[in-house]
Amino acid sequence: MTMKNKMPMVLDIISDNIIKHGNPLALKGSEAAAWAKGLDLPVKGELLFYTGGEYQMLPFIDSLVKTITHVDQGSKVFSVMMGVRNLIEKKTGINAEKIYASVLAKDKDRYNSVCLKAAKVLQGLGYEFCYAGNEELYSGALLYELGYLEDMREYVENVVEVVKKSGAKTIVCLSPHAAEVFKFVYPKMVEGFDFEIVTFVDLVWQRRDKLTKLQFPGAVVIHDSCRLARELGIHQELRDILDSLGVEVKEAPRNRDWTTCCGGPIKILFPELSHVIGSRRVNELKESGSEHILTSCPYCLSALEGGRAKGDSAIVEDLIEFLYRGVRA
Amino acid sequence: MTIDLRKDFVDYAKSLDKASEDPNIKKALTRAVSSYRSTVAETLERFPHTAELAEEVRELKSQSIANLDKLLEQAMASVERNKGKAFYAKDHESALEIALGIIGTNKTVVKGKSMLGEELLLREYLEEHGNEVWETDLGEFILQLRKDRPMHIVSPSIHVPREQVAEVFSKFFGKEVPPDIAEEVKVVREFMREKYFTAEIGISGANVVAADTGAMVIIENEGNVRLSTGAPPVHIVIVGIEKIVPTFQEAMKVAEVTWRYAQYGIPGYVNIISGPSKTGDIEKVTTYGAHGPKEFYVIFVDNGRSEMAKQETFSEALHCLRCGGCMYECPVFQVTAGHFGHIYMGGIGTIWTAFVAGGMEKAAPMAYSCLRCGRCVERCPMSINVPAMVGELRKRSIYGE
Ligand code: SF4
Repeated sequence: MTMKNKMPMVLDIISDNIIKHGNPLALKGSEAAAWAKGLDLPVKGELLFYTGGEYQMLPFIDSLVKTITHVDQGSKVFSVMMGVRNLIEKKTGINAEKIYASVLAKDKDRYNSVCLKAAKVLQGLGYEFCYAGNEELYSGALLYELGYLEDMREYVENVVEVVKKSGAKTIVCLSPHAAEVFKFVYPKMVEGFDFEIVTFVDLVWQRRDKLTKLQFPGAVVIHDSCRLARELGIHQELRDILDSLGVEVKEAPRNRDWTTCCGGPIKILFPELSHVIGSRRVNELKESGSEHILTSCPYCLSALEGGRAKGDSAIVEDLIEFLYRGVRA
Repeated sequence: MTIDLRKDFVDYAKSLDKASEDPNIKKALTRAVSSYRSTVAETLERFPHTAELAEEVRELKSQSIANLDKLLEQAMASVERNKGKAFYAKDHESALEIALGIIGTNKTVVKGKSMLGEELLLREYLEEHGNEVWETDLGEFILQLRKDRPMHIVSPSIHVPREQVAEVFSKFFGKEVPPDIAEEVKVVREFMREKYFTAEIGISGANVVAADTGAMVIIENEGNVRLSTGAPPVHIVIVGIEKIVPTFQEAMKVAEVTWRYAQYGIPGYVNIISGPSKTGDIEKVTTYGAHGPKEFYVIFVDNGRSEMAKQETFSEALHCLRCGGCMYECPVFQVTAGHFGHIYMGGIGTIWTAFVAGGMEKAAPMAYSCLRCGRCVERCPMSINVPAMVGELRKRSIYGE
């Protein structure tokens, strides 16, 4: 007899959204690609710029988490809210679209513009790339994370189709989670998936001698993302890049391949605990002597941002945002 | 059949949240983590061969798990040759029944710390059957009095500060015990002493078993294991079958790596016990029960372990030495202690929960509270890939087993 489990609704809904809408929160392709308007990026090329919609969806995840923290996950109301775009039941008195509407415009702008900034930084370094725009699909990293491996097997075919259309040989990922699944999971699921997978950090590092020195007062501290540092082995690269910018790096007590997790991965099911872990990491990073925290992962960015205490003077930025200072100058 | 786990998740999340707000856990864990990190760093530096030795042990553990059946047979034969009695317990119930069969009822039992004992709820079971059972490890004794459960596999009462120890001791001993650690240790020492020498049965676990010689290696610091296994006329060892390695020499390697990563340069005591106490001093006639136990029993417990050994993704979890290192490096454990657990704790404990103590119902919520951040793998002397196993458990909880 096979035992089946009824799992928390949030898992079903997120996986359903990915499978049906190509995004964990059912964001529309046009929303996720809005940042690229005006850049006129080609759809075909050697190097494919891949966002996976991950930075774009951050503020929505946060708003969702704020909601679920106060709602019993077993309730009907909850399932309705989580279904958001799939299912709107008026009777419950909760407007499902509210989650989307309640996202602050400033957060939406900030996270949307990360992609734009990344593109500009790479262009500034002389990289040419293409982008799938509205058609881009989420990598499915959460299907892998949350255990939906059989569904993922089917889902990745859609992703591969879009990726192949570009004619690219190399995929540059903004998120280490996407890079991780492309590198280690896709080849096991898709025959002949032989793209070269690089991260944004790799590309910047390769041309770091072209970076212009930043007039940055003070020092920064790096929060190594677990995936980037331990899975992909990228940590010295970040330090090299900052060195090329002429920016001093202070080190946290736990860093590089001993880095402490930001708490982000359990945010959806254990939001409060995730928050505690995030705050502790912020404090640990501040022990370095710098309050300017840089990371290179969308989930770390959001978890650390959320982990800052109210009125905390610490600043949390993605490396992409930090590098963009040089582009503007 | 469908099992609804949604409420389990909610309850579990609540218990984690509550733990993360507990000031005692916070204080104790912060102290424990920083002391663990500095002592281990220092110890590994002092004994720089340890990392290499760990690699050797990893290899020999993996060979041993692959040959589990043969080693078990050999170990049981060795115990018998040494005039001990060896038993194999397929599951939880049979382990308890065998133990009870040896012990009977109305006995006084002194017991050393054993995670397997926790797994079997052995003390509770023996008590239910009319025995008086004392946990002799100080931490376990505190928990016994508090009716509490371990919060760490090496330091079970890590979450109980001295003030609370004083409180529970004062009540139990019926006299004022001050919140002074030396005083607290002293009252227990006095109390236990009498128990060791009146008890009919001593029970211990074992950290490693050598199949060739039937030697049980038991690592400790307090000296309670020496006394519980030496003073009473009967000694029973309960041990998981995954603890067996081929030879005595190899057992020593496993032991050294275990204590090193449990933050000891060298532990206070390493007990090696392979049979009943004996003497041949009078006319060379071997007589059993000289100063130590006359009877020696070993119960080898399976209880899901051989199933685990058969599964490629999970067999590696049996390499665990129970050094406890990974727990100190786990960001979830650091704020919730053993609440991230059900008998077995932390990421590795999640796997053990699924197979030997609790089942998927208990393991699934734990699996989803793991960050899969991978720092435990960095710490683990056996480099056990817990995140990969947690991934596989998640998959099973989604699609059924
Ligand atoms: S999993 Fe590794 S680090 Fe954790 S207790 Fe076992 S041997 Fe020690």
